[in-house]
Amino acid sequence: MQDQASIVASLNSTWFASGLEPETQTRLAELARTYHAEPGQELLREGDPSDLFGVVIRGRIALRTLVPERGEITILTIEPGDVFGWSTVVPPYRSTSTAVAIEPTDAIVFEAAGIRAALRTDCRLAVALYPRIMLAVSRRLNATRHQLLDLFAAEEVRSW
Amino acid sequence: MVMASPARGPRARPEGPAFLGRADLQALLDLLREDGRTLIGPTLDAGAIVYDEITGVEDLPRGWADEQGPGRYRIHDRQDDRLFGYVVGPTSWKKWTFPSLVPLTSATRDGHKVGFEPVPLDPPRLAFLGVRACELAALGVQDRVLTAGPFVDPDYAARRANVLVVAVQCTTAATTCFCTSMGTGPEVESGHDLALTELDGGFLVDAGSPAGRAILERLPLRPATAVEQYGAAATVAAVRAGIGDPVPAAGLHDRLLAQLDSPRWLEIAERCILCGNCTLACPTCFCTSTTQATDLSGTTAMMSRTWDSCFSPGFAKVAGGSFRSRHRDRYRQWLTHKFATWWDQFGESGCTGCGRCVTWCPVGIDVREELNAIAPARPPAAETALVEPAAPSPTEFVTAHVTGTKAETGDTVTLTLESDHPALGRGGPGQFAMVELPGFPPLPISISRYLPGGLELTIRGAGAATRALGKLQAKDEIGLRGPLGSSWPLDRAIGRDLVIVTGGIGLAPLRPLIQAIIAERRRYGDVRLYYGARTPADLLYRGELERWKSASIEVALTVDRAGPEWLGPVGVVTNLFDQATWDGSGMVAFVCGPERMMQATVSTLAGRGIPASRIYVTLERHMECGIGLCGHCQMGKYFICRDGPVFSMAQLGDIFGREGI
Repeated sequence: MQDQASIVASLNSTWFASGLEPETQTRLAELARTYHAEPGQELLREGDPSDLFGVVIRGRIALRTLVPERGEITILTIEPGDVFGWSTVVPPYRSTSTAVAIEPTDAIVFEAAGIRAALRTDCRLAVALYPRIMLAVSRRLNATRHQLLDLFAAEEVRSW
Repeated sequence: MVMASPARGPRARPEGPAFLGRADLQALLDLLREDGRTLIGPTLDAGAIVYDEITGVEDLPRGWADEQGPGRYRIHDRQDDRLFGYVVGPTSWKKWTFPSLVPLTSATRDGHKVGFEPVPLDPPRLAFLGVRACELAALGVQDRVLTAGPFVDPDYAARRANVLVVAVQCTTAATTCFCTSMGTGPEVESGHDLALTELDGGFLVDAGSPAGRAILERLPLRPATAVEQYGAAATVAAVRAGIGDPVPAAGLHDRLLAQLDSPRWLEIAERCILCGNCTLACPTCFCTSTTQATDLSGTTAMMSRTWDSCFSPGFAKVAGGSFRSRHRDRYRQWLTHKFATWWDQFGESGCTGCGRCVTWCPVGIDVREELNAIAPARPPAAETALVEPAAPSPTEFVTAHVTGTKAETGDTVTLTLESDHPALGRGGPGQFAMVELPGFPPLPISISRYLPGGLELTIRGAGAATRALGKLQAKDEIGLRGPLGSSWPLDRAIGRDLVIVTGGIGLAPLRPLIQAIIAERRRYGDVRLYYGARTPADLLYRGELERWKSASIEVALTVDRAGPEWLGPVGVVTNLFDQATWDGSGMVAFVCGPERMMQATVSTLAGRGIPASRIYVTLERHMECGIGLCGHCQMGKYFICRDGPVFSMAQLGDIFGREGI
């Protein structure tokens, strides 16, 4: 049994979970546990079933994807306050990238079975949480689009 | 008396001007007194020329002149017998038209009953002698405020209707005068009943109203000679020329209101002592309070109107506190009301350029200087061009030779250049140079550092010309023109927290800005640099980034993609601060990068509370001449090379990021 008050406090320090109703926070804290990862530790594996959804409290997690002949490329880092493993709560529940801690990292995590069951059966929790998950995913989608533009690539100037 | 109209109508000129001998001035004063008027005119009192009740010519300040400057007033002997050889003193005519204490209403309270009895109006019949053009304008300004509706101040209207105005043309000016800028003088044109111009032998006299003409008919006059008329006009014209145009008024309203966040307000507040002298000396300030004086039993109270000042502590106070508790708020309120919002309320300026607030400010704050500093007449873009560029014309180039090269990344090189031309090392941060390597088209390149006797250019090889520049070696020469364009307005960041957001090669034009900040680090608050690059290998100035950190600049780096060796953040640059805890409302932001990146950044910064007027971006367009003549870099109303490349988002408005502009 984790110290639920400290989990609530940790969640409250993140943009993802701050400002939730106290009951929702309590409910979340019941489902949550603290998690520590050392640098190099893999939390999720691209293509594997996602079994962990979490919020980074301290440290940094790299999301990597394997590119043939180029090896693993980091495409995004998850900084304190942001979520990782959203694929745990969105079908088909498979990780879209590999998550590796690159700093000593503390997180609040939710096991797949517990959080999925709670979101399925607890409407209040689902109503409170899904918009934030949407925000996290849309924020990531927007950022990915900007990265896709490869804005800083050297561009051949027109002949003038 | 004709109520002065604030609109300057055609001058009433029934006949040609007449001449009144110096010895006959007393006849005019006697006539006015015979008409039952009390004479108010200039007289010497306690070392100043003030307006007060006078009876005859002997009360006038014969042979006295005043010397005025910011916070300074002295009189001296003119060594002649001029009666109006001074300018204006501490008193203004509102002392009689709008006295500092006016009983309004007698109120009673008897048991449950209350009663209110207006104090009957009993305005004295007055004649003002020696009213200057700026003062006529001031009477007009108060007429507009207090009698032009929708409501009328009955006390003012009654007093004003009982005043006959004898104006005097200015034959000398003080260093504090700026009627010419405010369009109120020095020529007396309207609002008077009579106007005098003092000449050696007497006065040129002109009537401005039927009441004035009626008096002229009773005076011992002769027609003025052409020489006298010419002499009078020439004297006033010389006064106009002497004053010049100290406060260019075109666009002042908008310029001033665009500067509500100027750091200058804070700086003025350190000098202003909130004494309110400027508002008391001002001939147009009209703010008042109502005071109550009760008898001992509390059953009767006299309610009176007294002058108040927007500088006084209680002026903007409500039960919860004061809306303008800080010095800077009160000075800003006064200055912006006089020169800007007065136009919105009354269709004219609240300032007539008499200079009293300058002279009688005990700490010598000069509104002209403050206006020119806060809201300079030249557009900000031109203002920031610090030095006369070397070889501005596209036909000429200054030769510079390479003294060093440094590979920053795989495709980017920093060239250190030396030149004899002093301007090249002394530009502003954010300016660019036109760089010419014979055989290639001239290229606009941001200056990435200024050095004594030279500068640095950081060039990414993106085409044939830039790749050729990147291959230059020590002793190679190139042609330069510049520095050109506008600079990052670092003065707007003094005393504020700064956020600098950049991506890719965009760090190059920001490097001189960061160096300027470090050179005077204490002048700025927290400085945060958010820098995004394509990959870790594309980060510029890697050694310097560490030095910037040790100069108390918070440096956060991110890359779009990285290998496993990179342990820093990966993602777009806005990810570094879109969830940060700082509040941007007081901050200044400088942004440089690809336009699409700047759009995302500007919208994130705006979301963090930084106003558009304090978010600066630098734009890139096709530039060939660099001086606004070739037309290539036009964007809406701007030529990017001449008006930019640095712009505030407030300047750009919705043309920023709009396709195809």
